[in-house]
Amino acid sequence: MKTVPSDGAAAAPTRSRRRAGGSAVIVSIAGAILSLLVFLAVFADLVSPYDPLRQNLIASLQWPSAAHWLGTDDLGRDVLSRLIHGCRIAVIAAGEATSIALLIGVPIGLFIGYRGGWWDWIVMRIVEAVVSIPGIMVAIVILALLGTGLHKAMIALGILFSTSFLRLARGVVLAEREEVYVRSARVVGASDGRILLRHILPNIAPPLIVQTTLTVGAVLLAEAGLSFIGLGVQPPDASWGTMLSTAAAFMDLHWFLAIPPGVAIILTVLSINLIGDVIRDGVGRGIAVAARPDAGAPRHAAPAVVEPSAAPPPRHRPDEVLRVEGLRVTVATADGGELPLISDLSLSISKGETLGLVGESGSGKTLTGLAILGLTSVALRTTHGSIVLNGRDLRGLSQRQIEEVRGNEVAMVFQDPTTSLNPAFTVGSQIAEVLRAKHGLSKPAAWARTVELIDRVGIPRPAERARAFPHELSGGMAQRIAIARALSCNPSLLVADEPTTALDVTVQQEILDLFRDLQAEFGMAILFVTHDLAVAADICDRISVMYAGEMVEMAEVGALFARPRHPYTRGLLSAMPHASDRMPPLPTIRGNVPRPGTWPAGCRFSNRCDFRIAACERRIPLAGADRQVRCIRADELILEAAQ
Amino acid sequence: MSDEALLEIRDLRVTYWGKSLLGFKGRAFDAVKGANLSIRPGQTLGLVGESGSGKSSIANAVLGLVPANGGTIRFGDVDLAAMRTRYPPDVRGQIQAVFQDPYSSLNPSMTVEDIVTEPLRVHTTMSRAERRARAVDLLRLVSLSEEHLERHPHQFSGGQRQRIAIASALALTPKLIVLDEPVSALDVSTQNQIINLLYERRDELGIAYLLIAHDLALVHHISDRIAVMYLGHIVEEGPSDRVYRSPAHPYTRALLDAVPLLDPDAQRRRRASRKAAPARETPRLAAQGCPYRNRCPHAMPRCEADLPPDYPVDGGGTAACYLFDAAAGQGSARLRAVPA
Repeated sequence: MKTVPSDGAAAAPTRSRRRAGGSAVIVSIAGAILSLLVFLAVFADLVSPYDPLRQNLIASLQWPSAAHWLGTDDLGRDVLSRLIHGCRIAVIAAGEATSIALLIGVPIGLFIGYRGGWWDWIVMRIVEAVVSIPGIMVAIVILALLGTGLHKAMIALGILFSTSFLRLARGVVLAEREEVYVRSARVVGASDGRILLRHILPNIAPPLIVQTTLTVGAVLLAEAGLSFIGLGVQPPDASWGTMLSTAAAFMDLHWFLAIPPGVAIILTVLSINLIGDVIRDGVGRGIAVAARPDAGAPRHAAPAVVEPSAAPPPRHRPDEVLRVEGLRVTVATADGGELPLISDLSLSISKGETLGLVGESGSGKTLTGLAILGLTSVALRTTHGSIVLNGRDLRGLSQRQIEEVRGNEVAMVFQDPTTSLNPAFTVGSQIAEVLRAKHGLSKPAAWARTVELIDRVGIPRPAERARAFPHELSGGMAQRIAIARALSCNPSLLVADEPTTALDVTVQQEILDLFRDLQAEFGMAILFVTHDLAVAADICDRISVMYAGEMVEMAEVGALFARPRHPYTRGLLSAMPHASDRMPPLPTIRGNVPRPGTWPAGCRFSNRCDFRIAACERRIPLAGADRQVRCIRADELILEAAQ
Repeated sequence: MSDEALLEIRDLRVTYWGKSLLGFKGRAFDAVKGANLSIRPGQTLGLVGESGSGKSSIANAVLGLVPANGGTIRFGDVDLAAMRTRYPPDVRGQIQAVFQDPYSSLNPSMTVEDIVTEPLRVHTTMSRAERRARAVDLLRLVSLSEEHLERHPHQFSGGQRQRIAIASALALTPKLIVLDEPVSALDVSTQNQIINLLYERRDELGIAYLLIAHDLALVHHISDRIAVMYLGHIVEEGPSDRVYRSPAHPYTRALLDAVPLLDPDAQRRRRASRKAAPARETPRLAAQGCPYRNRCPHAMPRCEADLPPDYPVDGGGTAACYLFDAAAGQGSARLRAVPA
């Protein structure tokens, strides 16, 4: 399968912003609480004001006072001292049970997930049997076998909780082992053990860490629970669970007894979960860290503020369906600034015309299509420009009105037909739904029209195929259905985003022919987004070449291929595989497409351009009327090429 | 020729089993149905086909990622197919791979140094310093530098990641590298950089490539020979220039004709001739006989009966098509008479 990196440049900044704005104070508090817990556990004997077991029946069930800060319990024992000694039990319990759970669950989970087959089948059936019984019952059975006491209770809990680690580890390994890097490791010759420990384990650490912190919390609660019913810590020893158990017995007489252990348990569990989240983000795959600018690319100053276009808007054309002027889309950055992804973009499409939007990943071509439909993600903002469709500026419309427009006047076809169709419904019902919602057709009428549309996009036996689910169709067939759905509202503009990229060449050819036929019949304007210049040459009337968020050249298709004027367009054309017949070295454009934020200040192509001169350091406007190019040397270069 | 071949595949079958409800072996599906291929040392074989043609299954069988279900894969003096994916280390180190997607083929939690030196760790007893020195050499080979060693894959662009993957594949100086769609996830301007790099290293280091790709035009640039696959069968094989310029099998021709041209006028003419041809609605796979006969404009009654054997083609190579059955007096002339 062919895949093309999408133009999504926005994911990283959103994530990092969330982290940067995170509540550092709460995390520090959580850290302090846990440190205090460990400190108290280690130095309980030194810190606690009284012996936790010393009874004083005269001073029982007292409220907090200067002598007893948290009061006394039914036997007159100091609650604070018992709480502090309970910390020790809590730490031992959490540590013991969680370690046992980890040590049993993770290795077995890794092994059966990676190996699969009989091992997997047998272990999973056992786990399912254990999980199907209430956890506390399992613990009680294990305790019945082992006898009561803290350590035995923790062994029981460890075994019980190991099933969740086992299932988690198995699940993530099942997903990870299909990753290409695991195949690479096998090709290198790494043994299964090495692949599991060195290659896979670090990548599944984040969910395991979360599970660990959840387990610590659960163990604390379960220890309290077991002690409460008398199977864990035995009286008179102090644990938070036995304290709660006591408190329950004296609820009516002295409700305050429940407060100290309750608050201690809540604070500890909350703190551990918080810290777990922080650790997980830290050891995550590095994606939480904002991606650094391209390693190889030279660093450039942040792009100068782009003034709303100095260039004249494009000439009005007859029968204009869509007219975009001075479009600018930005993404919010971590430091509160705004990073432009698309700047100063103007274009227009007439009725029955196909405009190609061509560029490499990161050029902003897909984003342009989405921005026109108002479908950009929340982190992105369209800050400047107008998007006029059939005489109405879409940017002035309310969300509701935009939705109305999307169903009736604009439709979209995406790259991957198998994911753009809902797998849970038959393809026919997905088209009929649109017809009923947007055109108010009756159920039979909508179905009849659906079959008609499916027939129109060239699918044999349409009535039968309408009842098929998306996964029952080939990629080409599914794309035809997606096109039929887009046509169902008879749009005046169709935005097609790489509609043939995921298809084989022979199927691609059929789909391109279909677009052409349908356009001749329905007369809609098409905005065709593609990375493949040859596809654009086939389907488009005019082509606009995008680079680093702006248009660098726009021309009639014949003129563009016969006489490309921008050095980037030329570079792209000569780099196409069918363009040259010779053996390597094949022509290349040096360097990489710069990411947003690393664009050169003047001409954005200048750092890769062979024709660069000093004047390229300035912003260069898009010049020309019908044929536009953003290069100050365009005229000279034509002469040079002609010689 | 076969005596000096580095890799010689005979009658290779690769079969996948679906899973039944309980998770046991279900229905069988033959992805490769008896393929013959050979690669000489230091040469490149381009293996071309559409999705589902079985080209990646051949790659995976050579790499020992899936077992062969029949046939032989002779590599040097050993039969890889007989080893059932358990290759001894000395063989394993001789066959390396570069995969399609540079975003998932590098372990996100490892540094570039870890990734590039992993083969050395597994196969050699080099010290850490020696490995590091070798890693620096390898990075230079792919036009990266020492400063990149400590970084993680996410800090690189697609083209740079593919360079890292190539550096890792070169670490043990293998005799064969399987390139599974090495540039199809990359931008056009980056594709050629990687193709050039692969080409230069091949000549320097004398490595043979098995290049899997869907794009004939691209494969043609760096392959010595090209094999074309259709639904598990190799339908045509021959010298790169001959296959690209005068394709013999009707499927190869269809594949070439379907690639859009950069010239809008030529494209228009081609579209017109395509429209003139009658549309045919038939299942993609023919149950028996020639797998392509349902879509083939030259299908004859003969094509329904038996799978065509490989017939020699003028200019070198073979085509599995009765049009080239010299004994039947049809010869390759007939195909040329069909309007392009």
